[in-house]
Amino acid sequence: MASLAGLGAPSLVAAALFAVVALLISVAGARLGRHDLAVAGRRAMTVSFGFTVLATIALLTALKAHDFSLDYVARYSSRSLSGPYTLAALWGGMEGSLLFWTLLLTGFSSLALTRVPIRDPRPHAWATAVLAGIATFFLVLLVAPATPFAELSPPPADGSGLNPLLQSPGMLIHPPLLYTGFVGFSIPFAFAMGALLSGRIDDGWFTSTRRWTLFAWSALSIGIVLGGAWAYTELGWGGYWAWDPVENASFMPWLTATAFLHSVVIQEKRRMLKVWNVTLILLTYVLAVFGTFLTRSGILSSIHTFTEGPIGKWFLPFLALMLIGGLAVIIMRLDRLRSENRFDAIVSRESAFLANNVLFMAAAFAVLWGTIYPIVAEVTSGVRLSVGPPFFNSVFVPIALAILLLTGIGPLISWRRMSRGAFSRIVRAPLAGGVSAIAILALAGVDSVGALLAFGLCVFTTTAVLGEFVRGSSVYRAQGVPWLAALARTIGRNRRRYGGYIVHLGVVLIVIGLAGGAFKTERHALLERGQDMRVGAYTLTYEDLSRSETPEKQINTVVVSVTRGEEVVTTLTPERNFHLAQGQPQSEVAIRTTPVEDLYVVVTSIDPDGAAALRAFVNPLTWWIWSGAAVMLAGMAILLSSPAPVAQPGPARREIQQAAVALR
Amino acid sequence: MKAFVAIIAGCFVLSLSSAAAAAPEDVANDISMHVMSPFCPGVTLHDCPTENATALRERIVTMVEQGFTRGQILDFIEREYGVATRATPDPSGTGILVWLLPGVAAIGGAAIAWHLARRWVRVPATPEGYNPDVHVTEEDRRRLERELKRFKDEG
Repeated sequence: MASLAGLGAPSLVAAALFAVVALLISVAGARLGRHDLAVAGRRAMTVSFGFTVLATIALLTALKAHDFSLDYVARYSSRSLSGPYTLAALWGGMEGSLLFWTLLLTGFSSLALTRVPIRDPRPHAWATAVLAGIATFFLVLLVAPATPFAELSPPPADGSGLNPLLQSPGMLIHPPLLYTGFVGFSIPFAFAMGALLSGRIDDGWFTSTRRWTLFAWSALSIGIVLGGAWAYTELGWGGYWAWDPVENASFMPWLTATAFLHSVVIQEKRRMLKVWNVTLILLTYVLAVFGTFLTRSGILSSIHTFTEGPIGKWFLPFLALMLIGGLAVIIMRLDRLRSENRFDAIVSRESAFLANNVLFMAAAFAVLWGTIYPIVAEVTSGVRLSVGPPFFNSVFVPIALAILLLTGIGPLISWRRMSRGAFSRIVRAPLAGGVSAIAILALAGVDSVGALLAFGLCVFTTTAVLGEFVRGSSVYRAQGVPWLAALARTIGRNRRRYGGYIVHLGVVLIVIGLAGGAFKTERHALLERGQDMRVGAYTLTYEDLSRSETPEKQINTVVVSVTRGEEVVTTLTPERNFHLAQGQPQSEVAIRTTPVEDLYVVVTSIDPDGAAALRAFVNPLTWWIWSGAAVMLAGMAILLSSPAPVAQPGPARREIQQAAVALR
Repeated sequence: MKAFVAIIAGCFVLSLSSAAAAAPEDVANDISMHVMSPFCPGVTLHDCPTENATALRERIVTMVEQGFTRGQILDFIEREYGVATRATPDPSGTGILVWLLPGVAAIGGAAIAWHLARRWVRVPATPEGYNPDVHVTEEDRRRLERELKRFKDEG
């Protein structure tokens, strides 16, 4: 086993060398326009991937074999760590997660470069060069300052183990999904840069990588929601989103990628916003790497720690090169990125998309600014300040509500132009729905203005989007097709459009869940056995305490019976455990979930005499967040199954299209 | 439209007037959401799971029950644990930047987008017959090229 681990470091050196070879051959292929060199560059990239796989297998084998002669294995695993978490330790620490990132990068690059046919060697070879350049950077990090194969002498008898908070099923899925999202954006980014560097600027770069963009965006979206679910079930503070820098690091590229997914439709349909789209994909990828820099460099704890850390000083020049180099290439090609069309009217779907982009970018900027402001303040004034959830909520929530409004308005407006009369007619039903919802909820005693607006906008948007499904199905309904079959045919006929609408419905459900947070109730009490506490309509009685032990931890289970009035609701068993390897206490939350509300109970401490401090929350509508994510996932699957759009190479698309229609 | 606006405004007035006085623990919870924990980096006091944080939260409840105002409690925590416990920088002085820039960016972005949209609209629009929803397939394109070639050859 140890010998296989010994292959890790040489494999990384070989992977780095082949990435450099891929970079050099591809640059030559791009400059000379040679097909054979473009193919050779791609093959070198695949070989680099092969060696990265070997290095990953070497580390996984060392983790599985508890080979504590490797420093990484000793720091992030232990003999008592259960099987799946031993393997999840691959992304539990900085070096391992960089290796995992590089594995995905070289793997995705090889796959994308193989699947996208080489119609023209120049853009393809430039795209390979960009991907190989990024891979070279990460592999150099892994070879020198952040190697996961550093040896420890003498090896300890046991390792420190994985942080108990990370020992949850969410840890097995959430980080890989986030990394898949981050790394996935490197494909559209590289092909956009390839198109710009080669000067072959048509729709090819985004049509050929559309599925990659959607795939990366979907993975990042689900990864973010699963991160929220992990926080909710593991961290014990009753919430799912804390606006901490690590969360923000994943959210910023998601915001710009979402803006890109919308604005690229304008380029596809109207051949406009070309500069904007390449800028957005550049920003998305730079923010994805910036997020990794933020969370892995130590800069967030203090400006002074990042230069002392092993990778911080490497990331900054790399980020600067990508951002400045990318912008320079865009500026260099501005003359070929001119829009080929104009807006026909202000009231049009194009305008709605433009407004959507402004809002997404404003949101991304607000999150970025709030995240880096403590660093800016420390650099400029020497004082460490904090920017926490109150800032982000104040700034982000109004923008998010405006985006929700546009989500409802967008599908209602037609392309090109729409008369005010037609707009008023079509918006009437959703508006009536939204206003009625606000009125009913206000009369029912809902006293949060933000929540009222959110619920009203959710009803507005749902009515608007469902109206699209009804209008779409009406053609089949008129032919006597049953409702469900008509709906299925409608979705099948235009999977891209209706898949997008289903994603929007998922977002609406998530907003309903988030708005429910305005009515959260929370209580804290120290209880002796037999005592009770009230939270919301529930009475919680501390019935019993049981203790047990596993090789990993001492388990203290508190048995809590839950009643509502005279009704016995359930029995919950939150735990307060002590993890032996880390010498660290850890609470395991107990949750009773219903679509109406969650009852969430956590034990914050247990006294030697058995008295338990309980923190209990009633979280209304949280169930809708996870349901909304499931609906989004369904929409994403439909979107991903839609056929790729056909690239339109020439600028005379309008004429071609009109002639083609005339020939039919 | 005016009726809709009036209904919404009425509902908001109604919702605001129905707000009940909060319990001390609710006030304390809200305050703890506006304090960064001195015990957990990057996390609010409300979300910090340590026993020290629990003790400080309980102290805030006691202070609320004793009649201390929200401002007094926040000042007390800042004096005890430092300025970094404020979850948002003080809007006076340079702290105003943190609030101002996102607004300036949003308004600036909206102004640029509005200006561009207006300018694009003034330019002649798309010719009649163009419909971006019409999908041109590769087969359409090949047939078009064949027909154009035939037309040119015949002409």
